Amino acid sequence: MPVTKAYPFEPEEAPPEYRGIPRIDPVLCIGCGACANACPPNAILRIDDPQNGTRRIVLDVGRCIRCARCEEVCPTGAVRLTTEFEAATDDRGDHVEVVELGLARCRGCGKYTHYTERQVEKVLSLIPRGILDFDRVREKLPLCSECKLKLTVLNATKFGEVDGL
Amino acid sequence: MKSLWVFHVNTGACNGCDIEILDVLTPYYDIERLGVKLVPTPRHAHALLVTGPLTRQAYHAAKMAYEAMPPKPRIVIAVGTCACSGGIFHDSYALRREYRESLEYPLKGGTSEFLPVHLYIPGCPPRPEEILYGVALLKNIVEKKIRGELFREGTFVLPRESFNAWVEVLLRARIRKELGYFDGYSLLKRFMELVESSESKEELEKLVEKAINDEGDSRLRYGLEKLYSYYLEVVRTYEGILAAKRAIIGLPK
Repeated sequence: MPVTKAYPFEPEEAPPEYRGIPRIDPVLCIGCGACANACPPNAILRIDDPQNGTRRIVLDVGRCIRCARCEEVCPTGAVRLTTEFEAATDDRGDHVEVVELGLARCRGCGKYTHYTERQVEKVLSLIPRGILDFDRVREKLPLCSECKLKLTVLNATKFGEVDGL
Repeated sequence: MKSLWVFHVNTGACNGCDIEILDVLTPYYDIERLGVKLVPTPRHAHALLVTGPLTRQAYHAAKMAYEAMPPKPRIVIAVGTCACSGGIFHDSYALRREYRESLEYPLKGGTSEFLPVHLYIPGCPPRPEEILYGVALLKNIVEKKIRGELFREGTFVLPRESFNAWVEVLLRARIRKELGYFDGYSLLKRFMELVESSESKEELEKLVEKAINDEGDSRLRYGLEKLYSYYLEVVRTYEGILAAKRAIIGLPK
């Protein structure tokens, strides 16, 4: 009986625990960049373009060491290590997977903020009803850091007036 | 080309990829049936099998080996993530590399920066099947499977809303400590489906009990029990906060 595998001529499945090529699911990804922070070899990049209002999450399979830290930190389960392993290619461009998402617009000044629209939706979906005033939070949310600063100062001065200081 | 004779150079690899290359030569995987033979000198070789991120010390040796090869095919195969793009060693002090902006992709580094590479086989280390697949790709036996992809704005799905999403975030951190991410997250997904499918607390208790009894793995049984107790804890906390808020503001129930 032959011992040798017939692999390149017959398909082969990796075991279910096998950590193969990572993939980003564009339906679930919110573009928070947690994976880019966690990635030890910087295989995942988070590239912001504040002029055009886009954020790119770039995954380079040719740099990935399959440590699965991205899978561990992903808040929505968008990054998954699949059991696929056939990543050999003659062109490095084949290894790159890009997810492009829109940045949220600031409610005050209309500039692009440093987070995506999907992140805002995710945060709003996390608030349990009854504890926080849902509609007021939703009204305030897409703010850039400058407008947030101004609003904080404004609220602080209002508080002073009320107390008669 | 009928047979590919390869010369193996280690340019600073951690030895993981080298062990996999040895594995490929064993009778179980047997790369020699594809005509690949490991030769002891670059003068006999068609292809240079490079592993490792190309350290400064190894650079000159690798260059000499490359120049000693016969000029006709002169194929370079980069095996492993390090050889493809630098891998975990991409910003090591010992590497021979050029300064570059870090936000360019595909990411550069490793052997591919100084030698014209014909075939990239990523993996850390690549399993023997991956190397077999790469060689088969070079010999046009198999089709290329991976493609570069660009996704723009499309449909967006949030699996859970409001209270359940909040519960999931809290349970995630706890179950990761108990079982780890691999089993824990899939178990949490199962548990949250039970929570969403049940109408009342009694029904959920029955469903969880049934799931625990049906589960064959004792680790997962333990995880389910823990998840259920954490879930009850979170629900109790939530009701406590609501009651406290009602007492302060004086909201009607």
